[in-house]
Amino acid sequence: MNQRLSQLWQRDATKTVLASLVSILIGMAVGGVIIFIVGMTNPSLGPASVWEGIRLAFLGLFSTGRDAAGGLTFGFNPVNMGDMLFRATPLILTGLSVAVAFKTGLFNIGAPGQYLMGTAVTLMLALGIPSETVPTALIWVIAFLGGTLAGALWGCIPGLVKAFLNINEVLACIMTNWIAANLVTWMFDGSDFRNLVENTKSGYIYKTSYNGVETAKLGLDQIFPNSQVNGGIVVAIVIAILVWVLMSKTTLGYQLKACGANRHAARYAGIADKRNIVLSMAIAGGLSGAGAALYYLSGNTEFFWSTYQTLPAIGFNGIPVALLAASNPIGVVFTGCFMSMLDIVGQQITNLTAYNEYIADIIIAVIVYLSAFSLVIKMLFSWRRKRRAEEENANAEEPGDGEEGSGGPAAAPLPADAPAEDGGAGAPPEDRPGDAPGAEETGKGGERA
Amino acid sequence: MQTETKQTENIIEMLHITKEFPGIIANDDITLQLRRGEIHALLGENGAGKSTLMSVLFGLYQPEAGEIRKNGQPVKIHSPNDATALGIGMVHQHFKLVDVFTVLDNIILGAETTKLGFLQKKEARRKVEELSQRYGLKVDLDARVEDITVGMQQRVEILKMLYRDNEILIFDEPTAVLTPQEIEELMATMKEFAREGKSILFISHKLNEIMEVSDRVTVLRKGKCIGTVNTCDTDKQALSNMMVGRPVQLEVVKGEASPGEPVLQVSGLCVRSRTHKRDAVHDVSFTVRKGEIVCIAGIDGNGQSELVYGITGLEKSSAGSVTLCGHDISHAAIRQRGQDMSHIPEDRHKHGLILDFTLEQNLVLQRFREPQFEHLGFIKKGAVRQYAQRLIEQYDVRSGQGPVTVARSMSGGNQQKAIIAREIDRDKELIVAVQPTRGLDVGAIEYIHKQLVAERDKGRAVLLVSLELEEVMSLSDRILVMYEGEIVGELDPKTATVQELGLYMAGAKRTTKEGEGA
Repeated sequence: MNQRLSQLWQRDATKTVLASLVSILIGMAVGGVIIFIVGMTNPSLGPASVWEGIRLAFLGLFSTGRDAAGGLTFGFNPVNMGDMLFRATPLILTGLSVAVAFKTGLFNIGAPGQYLMGTAVTLMLALGIPSETVPTALIWVIAFLGGTLAGALWGCIPGLVKAFLNINEVLACIMTNWIAANLVTWMFDGSDFRNLVENTKSGYIYKTSYNGVETAKLGLDQIFPNSQVNGGIVVAIVIAILVWVLMSKTTLGYQLKACGANRHAARYAGIADKRNIVLSMAIAGGLSGAGAALYYLSGNTEFFWSTYQTLPAIGFNGIPVALLAASNPIGVVFTGCFMSMLDIVGQQITNLTAYNEYIADIIIAVIVYLSAFSLVIKMLFSWRRKRRAEEENANAEEPGDGEEGSGGPAAAPLPADAPAEDGGAGAPPEDRPGDAPGAEETGKGGERA
Repeated sequence: MQTETKQTENIIEMLHITKEFPGIIANDDITLQLRRGEIHALLGENGAGKSTLMSVLFGLYQPEAGEIRKNGQPVKIHSPNDATALGIGMVHQHFKLVDVFTVLDNIILGAETTKLGFLQKKEARRKVEELSQRYGLKVDLDARVEDITVGMQQRVEILKMLYRDNEILIFDEPTAVLTPQEIEELMATMKEFAREGKSILFISHKLNEIMEVSDRVTVLRKGKCIGTVNTCDTDKQALSNMMVGRPVQLEVVKGEASPGEPVLQVSGLCVRSRTHKRDAVHDVSFTVRKGEIVCIAGIDGNGQSELVYGITGLEKSSAGSVTLCGHDISHAAIRQRGQDMSHIPEDRHKHGLILDFTLEQNLVLQRFREPQFEHLGFIKKGAVRQYAQRLIEQYDVRSGQGPVTVARSMSGGNQQKAIIAREIDRDKELIVAVQPTRGLDVGAIEYIHKQLVAERDKGRAVLLVSLELEEVMSLSDRILVMYEGEIVGELDPKTATVQELGLYMAGAKRTTKEGEGA
């Protein structure tokens, strides 16, 4: 019995992974089509460029440039690999941020704002604490924690507004995003953190390495020489594992999920629903803030401080990262890497072919867009399986009318079995064979919530 | 609207209908013959296949085998539109109305009369008004559906069928949401329809109503047709045995109550209403003692729900006090109140369960913080699983995959059983049970009643809120009647009559404010 159950569960998990993979493939295929169309219609490109573009779209990560004869070469490229991991670091964390919120029934579209607040506080601490008196490792830790805390506090705002005033968190998140963008610009405007040494860089804040603060490489630079990789990716992976443990193993995670799944029932059970909503958003915000801290503490990244008109794409990209991973914290590590790989791919296409960076961006956008369809594809899987089972049943029953006597009791198990398959999608609820009133009330309950 | 085809005795025949879903045969070779001008009841437990059969007739499902005949002619019904064209109309259990449309708009929706693409509402209004008058179906044509009572919404659904000149009317559990008075009106209307030659299929699992209104009864059990009988040749006991497949005790068997010391004392409690200015609960005082079942009776919406919210802490009370086991809990947090109180909530989907959680997760909803299930902030999965398995076995909660079944996929009866198991097993001094048997079938009701009586006999105090007169009369040791937020009388079920209770419920009679017999 138990074995069968675990198999069933695995089946669902496999379905999720498979759906994500299929949607990635579809996205890349459509990306290829765009490369083809652009290549064939643009006189400076042509069939040869199309073929190169497509190969790069799929294998850009392993591109090693061109050989003497001008052909593309592929192989292990430590720079690409290392850069992918480096860029994946903040994406994994914003992805986790969105995923945690999703799991607790909230849509954290405020990751960009939380990320910005994390950035600002991290940079101020990392650059503001004098490295002559304080060991740089300690500054790093303080700045990291400070950035995380700033993100958490910023995330609290929509959480509080949602919990106490019942205002939709999406609205509050969008507003806090722009407040953060302006606030951060204001904080840095006229401050000493601006890079005034290098004239051309007056729009930027100093790298943290200016104060001697940078993330330890942890030997990763040996594996991926010349790349930007550092220990941040290890921290990100550890955090992902911690989030997974929190959400699926602890009573706190249970409470958070309970509030997200049914706030009324959580309240009924004596769970502090308001506290938990705020806490979910704080954790989500903290993760975004931590992502910003890891990115800017690397020591080789610069922050464009006059950001009041733009929000960081890394914050928004947390949404597809989380969606593609079906909000699974461990999955987020992989989808985060996938997204940063696309970045590398775009870079390779721009560098090695006549496709310009805008085309590369469009292709990436298309891939990301279609990747987010994984849920639809998963539904399609379930639907097809159900359909097939139904047909098989029908075929099996038709000839043997006389068997019914023996087949009856076995074939009519608990009514609960039937609706379990479709998980609420598809047919009108009252038509379920199981328990019509139950199923319908479900829908009503949902509306009310 | 009589057809010109030859008059057959049976207006609709469903012959050897078989409908399967993966893993379950919802309808197994069912034959149902509806005579012209009769009220034909379809009786069965939850999951017996009643709704599926009606969905087949209404064109929502295609059967794998069998055929449908109207007036002896085989017909194919592929969609509800086909069904409407054949004069078949259906009042669904949960109404299919557009909340923000007016009553009139809802009635004509899908059958609008138009001229050059513009709606001709005047004519429609005249026809609806005429129908409404003729059958005494009072509705406010210009009110929005979201603003009218459930009873009126049902009348709108009925008018929808009449407006379409349907001659075969299907009522899917029409009384589940109505007050006793509304039920009576509905019964009268149904009889009137039958007298005029309309044919009615009436789905229910309430035996009283079936005995009262129907001419014949077809009983389904686990997807099979058990038989069709004339209502006058049978009785409630026989029908319930057919439905459940074993002899069922319709009467609650319980001994004398031996009330002990007070457990719950409510005095002067007021709870504000969310919908209107007046208090939903006004100055309510009563006591529940060990070893007794006290029932709050009343018509739905007279403050019973709010009273329970005030006691359990789901809603803040505005005045008065609640004392539980000697502690004043008037302003205590829900969790704190839960230490001496378990609560079977009115709305099992809103409050009782987290539908997307598994059964085992739901079974420890209040208890997950207890040391037996938690260690250093981590959930002890093994202990939870064991506990869930014990409850499932002990309380016979049936589900597809045992402890890891997602609650949403369980049948309503088993969802309720899971809640009952959880709440009773918490073993608290006071059990607050709000409509614990709502929407359940006879077998499950019998079971839940037994459990509550057993708890009483163990010395627990039980506060029961029920809208079912029968349940009130048979289960309680004392009855408090609520009317418009106040307790208007206390009755002894052994001496009081249903009529008397009804008078109190309707507000026509009231005695003391405070039950002095307490």
